[in-house]
Amino acid sequence: MADQWQSSMDHAVAIARRAGEVVREALLDDRAVMTKSSSVDLVTQTDQKVEQLIIQSVKEKFPTHRFIGEESVAAGESCVLTDCPTWIIDPIDGTTNFVHAFPFVAVSIGFSVNKQVEFGVVYSCLEDKMFTARRGKGAFCNGQPLEVSEQKDIQQSIVATEFGSSRAPEAVDRIFCSLKNVLSIPVHGLRGAGTAAINMCLVASGCVEAYYEIGIHVWDVAAGSLIVCEAGGVLMDVEGNGPDANTSCLPARCVSDGCLCAGGEVDLMSRRIIAANSRTIAERLVREIAPFRPPRDDAPPPN
Amino acid sequence: MSRTSGAHTRNTQLCVLLQSDVCLLHVSFPCFYSHQTSEFTLLVSNLNHAVQSGSLVVPQVVLSAFQQHKEVKLKSSPADLVTETDQRVEKILISAIRNRYPQHRFIGEESVAAGERLELTDSPTWIIDPIDGTVNFVHRFPFVAISIAFTFNKQIQFGIVYSCVEDKLFYAQRGGGAFLNGEPLYVSGQQDISRCVVVTEIGAERDDVALSTTTSNICRLLKLPVHGVRALGTAAVDMCQVATGGADAYYHIGMHCWDIAASAIIVQEAGGVVMDTDGSEFDMMSRRVIAASSATVADRIAQVIQAFPCCRDDEDNCRCGATGVN
Repeated sequence: MADQWQSSMDHAVAIARRAGEVVREALLDDRAVMTKSSSVDLVTQTDQKVEQLIIQSVKEKFPTHRFIGEESVAAGESCVLTDCPTWIIDPIDGTTNFVHAFPFVAVSIGFSVNKQVEFGVVYSCLEDKMFTARRGKGAFCNGQPLEVSEQKDIQQSIVATEFGSSRAPEAVDRIFCSLKNVLSIPVHGLRGAGTAAINMCLVASGCVEAYYEIGIHVWDVAAGSLIVCEAGGVLMDVEGNGPDANTSCLPARCVSDGCLCAGGEVDLMSRRIIAANSRTIAERLVREIAPFRPPRDDAPPPN
Repeated sequence: MSRTSGAHTRNTQLCVLLQSDVCLLHVSFPCFYSHQTSEFTLLVSNLNHAVQSGSLVVPQVVLSAFQQHKEVKLKSSPADLVTETDQRVEKILISAIRNRYPQHRFIGEESVAAGERLELTDSPTWIIDPIDGTVNFVHRFPFVAISIAFTFNKQIQFGIVYSCVEDKLFYAQRGGGAFLNGEPLYVSGQQDISRCVVVTEIGAERDDVALSTTTSNICRLLKLPVHGVRALGTAAVDMCQVATGGADAYYHIGMHCWDIAASAIIVQEAGGVVMDTDGSEFDMMSRRVIAASSATVADRIAQVIQAFPCCRDDEDNCRCGATGVN
């Protein structure tokens, strides 16, 4: 049976690759930086240009599709997910890295229908690695199948996380409390490449056993969430299993061979996530994370 | 850089062919301590050629083992790992160099772990980390480097860091600049700490004092604020990000001389500064380092971070708050 979303996915891969070229070219120039929610929440013209490039190209081919794009939302567009086919776009995940030419920068495109992620594309432009996943059909990097690590012992694990762009003292203190707890388990090590999308692909690749973060946005993780699940991993909220009570949440259900996989559910608008190779590892991390609740992505804007 | 052919006599080269069961090592090193810049040029040219042609097989030993299951042992803590590949690569390197230069001395990570005395003298000395990023290696996290530094009169003369999975060869000779795969490297020159990306590592210590100090250091830096903090899992590759300009600073407490000797000269030759975490002069045996794009940034970091107690590499029975082996 033909896959009704195949042409959308093919387009996503092509446009992500094109966007990656734009990013690479821009790295050769000066990258003038602006700030958003804080002095360390950076954005550049390239972020905006790449998002427009993706949105315009999709509108031409798929005029009824909708969009949630990081820079569009920053400019005032809605971040509420409907049942419509929706492209969830982070034009440059790792803008800080991009500004510094630190070598991890990704274009992230998640596609949802009926509030369920149908495919995800993460293009790590400087490494030239194209990560993709189609619901029920596995996850791949440059055509090679991906599989999460088999490690079930947290003490033999590497965990990826980021410190985020909030510098609010309460958030930072909680982040460091979690960090110290996780390290003290002890784990083999902690890593941070500087982009949520790539961190999730590292989980899917089996290089790290888990990634967790509080403060990310839906566009950072929509694509990566499916890539992790299709590689055999799980998603979980930082406080454990069970979706948020909000009925407009976006559960990322992992469907493999027609059965719900062993993953938990996570609300991709909640701004919190654990992506792990197994429930065992994810639940162990839940015990160590000091949670807090940033404002949801789909919360109405203040006033 | 052009290759000169027929290098003889004054351009003495160490060409070593070591046949073993499964690997061949071909390493060319000139006679550095006679300060022959042209010889270093030839070395690097040969190394580049060897890497591209696949004939630099020590990395091949690492890369072919990278995808396999590894038997892992612990050293000083549950996060301080060693594998058979670490030990094998170090033996190959030392044997090859010693065969040619029997008077030269060595400080190698696994030799020291096996009980060799760690002492830096004025003699020509090779400081070797056969696999920097052993935890990464075990997990197939793709940042794993071979690090080789050469000292004479206790001064680092050249350094080579080969990031095997990325196929990136970083190198520098004193007074000759720093390079990545033949392209010159320059630090970012950033002077403003609030615009910096800082790379660091949590390290292998898991005792409470070390972890509290390490995490509170990162927390204080983040609050300055800085643009961000990154960790790739190998000191050598982390520091090379400063040399490329991709990061603005690196600091670490608890690493060893073999982790940073090579990349220290690479950062310096790229225009950066290297110092102790208390702002004093860099001492590669102190187990503390800041490497930065500018003295201003390095000094600022020195003001903010604290070191946990750590005995020197050249002290006997050196450990850093070890929890002991499981």
